[in-house]
Amino acid sequence: MFPTLQLGPLNIQTPGLLILISFWVGLTLSERYSARHGYPGDKLYNLVFISLAAGIVGARLSFALGNLSAFSGNPINLFSLNPGLLDSFGGIASACLAAVIYGHGKRLVLWDTLDALTPLFAALMVGISVSHLASGNAYGSITTLPWGIELWGARRHPSQIYEIIASCLTLVIILRESSHDSIRGSLFLKFIIVTSIWLILVEGYKGDSLMIASGFRGYQIGFFIVLTVAIFLYNKLVANTNTHITGNN
Amino acid sequence: MRNPESNRISRLILFGAILTLSLVWILISRVPAGSASTLSIAEPHQGFVSPDFSLPTLTGDKITLSELNGRPVILNFWATWCPPCRAEMPAMQRIFRDYRDQGLIVLAVNSINQDSLISVGEFIEEYDLSFPILLDNQGVVADAYQIGSLPTTFFIDGKGVIREIVIGGPMSEALLRSRIENLLGESK
Repeated sequence: MFPTLQLGPLNIQTPGLLILISFWVGLTLSERYSARHGYPGDKLYNLVFISLAAGIVGARLSFALGNLSAFSGNPINLFSLNPGLLDSFGGIASACLAAVIYGHGKRLVLWDTLDALTPLFAALMVGISVSHLASGNAYGSITTLPWGIELWGARRHPSQIYEIIASCLTLVIILRESSHDSIRGSLFLKFIIVTSIWLILVEGYKGDSLMIASGFRGYQIGFFIVLTVAIFLYNKLVANTNTHITGNN
Repeated sequence: MRNPESNRISRLILFGAILTLSLVWILISRVPAGSASTLSIAEPHQGFVSPDFSLPTLTGDKITLSELNGRPVILNFWATWCPPCRAEMPAMQRIFRDYRDQGLIVLAVNSINQDSLISVGEFIEEYDLSFPILLDNQGVVADAYQIGSLPTTFFIDGKGVIREIVIGGPMSEALLRSRIENLLGESK
């Protein structure tokens, strides 16, 4: 675990730094994909940064609305740099809304855009996995296996390592797939399918899972639903493409 | 080249197998009833019981964390030479003043082996602090809580479980208020 990094007088929060680095790497990879496949790179950058800005503003406003009394005495706190004053659901919703509005305004094709963003998403998953190792979050369940690690008072599955391996493999698959032309939307859906599979697998080894009834892990159910939808959409995409080809023939 | 129909069937078989195996794994990896939970382990991490300790205050009293169960606690590690520690103390004092009657406890642990009693005394006077200042003479409690940088703040609920850790600062008053109001709301 390495939650902070001391650089002279600066004390940097390592998890945040790792996510920032993965964001920068992912954006570079997405830019290369865009150049190779004729997607407008400038619009990709604008989409990403507008969504990011909207996400941060939305996350802060959403948090403030849910905690009005905390801000009423000192509204200047609305502009505080504390990341703990952000609501993630509000942020994601705002970012998605901004992306839809911008994409609609610039007439961006949804599947092409999602494909162009897939290398960024894949790189971010690697960054998030490594940040878990840095912070000690997403720790594993107790185990007696020889590769267990001592963490938080017990011998545990190295679930953060499992995540890192799986996310890196996913990134490699995505980069290989992105090097040739494929059905619009298929790169993104392949990423969702592969990621959902390993998230379901790794969640079963975690010690901090969100439990729902009868010992079921809530996130596994959520990932399974996402996996099912992604598989359905992928099949539909391929079927429509085959129908188009058959029709042309 | 395979025809689209045989490709479709292969895909359906593959995806069917993936979904079935995923469902089987979800069933297998359920947490059995009565298995060890984090609430039985004392570790300085979110979701775990906070490690217990006893420390003397500046006035000579002794405070034991486990004796405060039932009340939410802000446990703050600080030093007088730490600028963000100094910056967030006024907000912590206002929070303590506003919520102490509702049961909030603020404990400010000073690693006195890295500081000086005189500096601490002057600091308390300068900022007019009224919550307990605990003296961690050997740095034992800081080690137990794996303090790597200052300030570090632990939000502990009424059951003694660490709900959040904030590394670095200064924390804004809005952050403190929002966390404390949630903890106090739960303990009612």
